[in-house]
Amino acid sequence: MTHVLSAISICFIPIVITIIIGHGFFKRKPVYDYFIEGAKDGIKTAIEILPYIIAIFIGIESLVSSGAMEFLENLFSPLLDIMGIPKELTSLILLRPVSGSGSLVLVEHIVSAYGPDSFLGRAASVMAGSCETVFYVLAVYFGVTAVKKIRHAFLAGIIGYIVGVVASVWICML
Amino acid sequence: MNYIWAIMLIVGVLFAAAKGELAAFSDGLMASCTEAIYFVLGLAGIMAVWAGLMNIANKSGLLDIFAKLVKPFMRYLFPKEKNQDTLAMMIMSFTANIFGAGNSATVFSLKTMEMLDNENARSTIASNEMCMFIAVNMSMVQLVPITIIKIRSDAGSLDPGSIIIPSIIAGLISMAASIAVCKFFERKDHV
Repeated sequence: MTHVLSAISICFIPIVITIIIGHGFFKRKPVYDYFIEGAKDGIKTAIEILPYIIAIFIGIESLVSSGAMEFLENLFSPLLDIMGIPKELTSLILLRPVSGSGSLVLVEHIVSAYGPDSFLGRAASVMAGSCETVFYVLAVYFGVTAVKKIRHAFLAGIIGYIVGVVASVWICML
Repeated sequence: MNYIWAIMLIVGVLFAAAKGELAAFSDGLMASCTEAIYFVLGLAGIMAVWAGLMNIANKSGLLDIFAKLVKPFMRYLFPKEKNQDTLAMMIMSFTANIFGAGNSATVFSLKTMEMLDNENARSTIASNEMCMFIAVNMSMVQLVPITIIKIRSDAGSLDPGSIIIPSIIAGLISMAASIAVCKFFERKDHV
């Protein structure tokens, strides 16, 4: 099962490229010119999102390097306790919404400290595999738009995240 | 976002001051700016490639064919979305996410947001479609979380892939919750 799934994942990009170029070529379209045209657009978008990315990066760094994150962890752990979530996972739960790479480092720590097949190791892995970097996504996605009021996108993200965290832990308990 | 960001920074400064770690704090901030630039530079290349390829697909009519295929599913989530190109771009973003093409998925998502923004007449208030798109996209689970499996097998797991099915289930539950929140707010708006 794992092998089939990962084979599909590996083939995804090459297959998409073949289909797009093949189809365009078959239709006798100037594929190269179209590519350049689109690529120019892509670079423009990248530059447009740069300020938003810098802003969110320093925001996250501010919380992490000042030790505010640690404080939040202690604050939240009793609450998580009630939901049956072990306190070893607190920092992962708090860091995951803001930083993808940062939370992967935490997964690595948890997995090597408690063992990958232990309850904590599995729960951490499932959590990282199923929950997204909510704040980061909101900042960057709305960054390319003119939107100032994001309405229920925030709530939908947060509730989805919390549900995902609880579901990850409970599934691993079964 | 204004509040969230301001709080993040101010809380950071206060904590760093309280702990007497202002030097480390400043270093961290400066390092992360550089990191952000590297990150975007890396993204820019991938972005250019996909934007280029998608432009081909769009102009050769491939995207239209694709959009027609997935219409039934999308109609439930985005009942008011009429633009075929936007729907097609959304699907590309979802698919790229599922197959773990992380940065490529970001590119499609940003493109989708731009298109939705235009349809929203560049209003400062987010549209229902934007919220739903983000909600679905955020909980879109990667079919094979390669990095996590790698971490697990490096740590000597007996069955590194055993987390795949639980991850998918947890992701689906989380997605259902996000969609429910969006649908709830959409309905409230109508009244």
